Amino acid sequence: MVIPVEQTEPIITTRGLDLFYGETPALNQIDIDILRHRVTALIGPSGCGKSTLLRCFNRMNDLIPSCRVTGSVSYRGENIYAPDVDVVHLRKLIGMVFQRPNPFPKSIYDNVAYGPKVHGVRDKGALDTIVEESLKKAALWDEVKDRLHTPAMGLSGGQQQRLCIARTLAVGPEVILMDEPCSALDPIATAKIETLIEELREQYTVIIVTHSMQQAARVSDYTGFMYLGELIEFGKTEKIFETPDKELTSNYITGRFG
Amino acid sequence: MNPLHTYAAIRNASPEGDLALLTAGHRGGAYERVIRSIWFLTAIFGVLCVFFILAFLLKDGLPLFSSVSPAEFLFGETWNPGGATPSYGTMPLWTGTILVTIGAMAIATPLGIASAVFISELASPRVRSVVKPVVELLAGIPSVVYGFFGLVFLTNALRLQFDIPSGETWLAGSILLAVMALPTIITVAEDAISAVPREYREGSMGLGANHWQTISRVIVPSALSGITAALILGMGRAVGETMAVLMVTGNAAVIPDPLYDVLSPVRTLTGTLGIEMGEVAIGSTHYHALFGVALLLLLITLAVNLAAMGIMGHIRRSQAGGNGPGRLSSLMQPHGRKIRTAGLLSLLLLAGAVFGPLAAVLLAVIVPAGWYAAARIPAAHAQRAAFSLMYAAIGLVVLAVAVILGDILIHGLPAISWEFLTGSPRNLGREGGIFPAIVGTLYLVAGAIAVALPVGMGAAIYLTEYTREGLATKIIRSGVDLLNGTPSIVFGLFGFSFLVLYLGFGVSLLAGQVTLSLMILPTIIRTTEEALRSVPDSLREGSLALGATRWQTIARVILPPAVPGIITGAILSIGRAAGETAPILFTAAIFSSRFLPDSVLEPVMALPYHLFILSTNVPGAQTNQYGTALVLVTLVVGIYLVAIAIRTHYQNKITW
Repeated sequence: MVIPVEQTEPIITTRGLDLFYGETPALNQIDIDILRHRVTALIGPSGCGKSTLLRCFNRMNDLIPSCRVTGSVSYRGENIYAPDVDVVHLRKLIGMVFQRPNPFPKSIYDNVAYGPKVHGVRDKGALDTIVEESLKKAALWDEVKDRLHTPAMGLSGGQQQRLCIARTLAVGPEVILMDEPCSALDPIATAKIETLIEELREQYTVIIVTHSMQQAARVSDYTGFMYLGELIEFGKTEKIFETPDKELTSNYITGRFG
Repeated sequence: MNPLHTYAAIRNASPEGDLALLTAGHRGGAYERVIRSIWFLTAIFGVLCVFFILAFLLKDGLPLFSSVSPAEFLFGETWNPGGATPSYGTMPLWTGTILVTIGAMAIATPLGIASAVFISELASPRVRSVVKPVVELLAGIPSVVYGFFGLVFLTNALRLQFDIPSGETWLAGSILLAVMALPTIITVAEDAISAVPREYREGSMGLGANHWQTISRVIVPSALSGITAALILGMGRAVGETMAVLMVTGNAAVIPDPLYDVLSPVRTLTGTLGIEMGEVAIGSTHYHALFGVALLLLLITLAVNLAAMGIMGHIRRSQAGGNGPGRLSSLMQPHGRKIRTAGLLSLLLLAGAVFGPLAAVLLAVIVPAGWYAAARIPAAHAQRAAFSLMYAAIGLVVLAVAVILGDILIHGLPAISWEFLTGSPRNLGREGGIFPAIVGTLYLVAGAIAVALPVGMGAAIYLTEYTREGLATKIIRSGVDLLNGTPSIVFGLFGFSFLVLYLGFGVSLLAGQVTLSLMILPTIIRTTEEALRSVPDSLREGSLALGATRWQTIARVILPPAVPGIITGAILSIGRAAGETAPILFTAAIFSSRFLPDSVLEPVMALPYHLFILSTNVPGAQTNQYGTALVLVTLVVGIYLVAIAIRTHYQNKITW
């Protein structure tokens, strides 16, 4: 079942994607088209598989033993599960921001410069530029520009999360995956991240998993509703929230379960 | 405008123009594979060591059975390899090992558990911060120093107390081994007790149970598997101990008659090796018999350690499953009464066998009576009584440390002088100094750590960072665990058979360094693994998600915060290596030398060996014995203190 969407230009496409943890199925026949330069939100109750799906896009699931994937996930037309794919390179192009901020125990500067450095940038001037631009894009520059060389652990939770976003941007990805990036943050920090997502859309494709339907409605162009490992409904966010096709979707949206 | 233009430095091609982007990568793929292979090789090194140790013990042990039947070897009642008609019955030896171990456990079990409960449940944070290092100090004292102390202090005390001709007895050996097993028992048991979830405690207290009821009925039963493992590990330590036992048990190869005569001298398997290996003619039946003894010893410790590993494995699995108490205790709970009865019965049988029927009858009356009475004492009184016993137990442990260190300090200080520290020994070590021994020990230790640290770190990196838990890691881990449980004297024999004879190193610094490095390898692997594991997975994910490779992630994100932990482990190993005698006994050490070795192929003096010979073979060297003991203890304890200081310093600093 391919759910029709307004076909502009899909950047990530899955067809018949199944995922198992050992014998337990976690994703069932997922077909989804993620559009370039749009924000796509994945919503659904706990355990519905939305984070699992997100982690398929940059193969972070590879790190989980016993995880098995069938079907296809294509990124710009190439199957990322093909045997000759360089996973390391893939993750450079499809970055990820995690649920809890996970800055490295290094300075703010070194956190952002880490990605470019491991990818071979040695020039100090180039690194300085990347760090500054990344921090600016993550709306953190003004807050940290005077203490770039202090430990990142000293930042507040919301600042740490924006640092993690800056760190991801510094690698120069096309797609940014966000796994409940605000669930560990207070409302003010959340608002800042949401504004940031707004801005990122102009340059990047963002896929965000969120627990908060309000957040999905606020930040996303497209929304996918998942339930028990299946993609129940996918479409423009206004449509999903105002006139969903499926009863399950409308029950979840209106808070009757989940 | 191309938003990505500032990243041209990173991305060489624009995404639009490069459709084979994903497979274009693979840069450094070969490099990654090479690094991975190196770590893999270091990891299987541990397994190879176990294999080699077994192979060489078998190679030198099996020829025995062409002249002596296995039954005669195992159950013959006379061990007399030097007699006119040599006989090679090991029964008195393994009986000795078993008896000394039983005695030690009888003393260490109640003391250890009570101390562990005290430290985790009763002690205030301040008291704990004093008592825990004291217990760790006990673990840091080298076994030859225990032996020395036993020889000059304990055996004398026993001789006077019981009015016997010599204090070198089973009892002396058991007391000493109990003190040596205590740190292991207390530390592991305390970890198990502290790991009991707070909810259990609160649940019990919330029902109006008092502290002692909560401890005895909820906390200790929940931690039972861990406590059992602690006891078995302590037992493994006791079974494999050589120097201390050798120096205080009298070493008469007799089975005590009657069997419960704790004032009889005994000889253990390890003691036999320590005494006879140095003087045996290589290739003789006696030589092969000694390797047979080593095999027997290895089998016993293997059995003990496998039991401990099994229990620990259960705990780990059940904790991973989130089932709270270990599987063993939950298995035992429905059968509590049956198990108690069975335990009591076997205790009775044991008592009957060792101490005669009278003791069995006494025990049969006292235990149920005590049980009956205890259940009827008012809760508050029971608590007071139990807590007093715990205070007494921890008091005894602290007292033991104070007496041992105090005695050595008081008698050792007068011996310390500039000449003693910088001079060469004269008159068989009665006069002169111990400079060559100090330097020799430092050489030995430096070589050992130089070999063991890179190999151990590599193995740990492979085990934690590169593999999923599977058959390969299981085999490697078991190899490392077995290596860890191998008695140090067995390393000594292996070093002699393989390095000294087979590879032709001769008795040399190099042979000693390699032997010691094998012995400390498991500790380094374990502490490095722990340090790596303490780095949260979210950092690994964060780095990998940025497109860093495995090795980049390890080298730049995982290792730096793990360095203090790794250093701590390395320093602890250095301390252990500096104090060990048994592994260098036949591989590296000589007694009296005025000179330092010119090359690694020459033998060296070493502090522990010097102390051993001074206190067993040189009459009238009392002052220099104490002086050497003091220098050795200071060196080892000093090294431990540095490790502890580093650990606390960084524990306070790193917060995730």
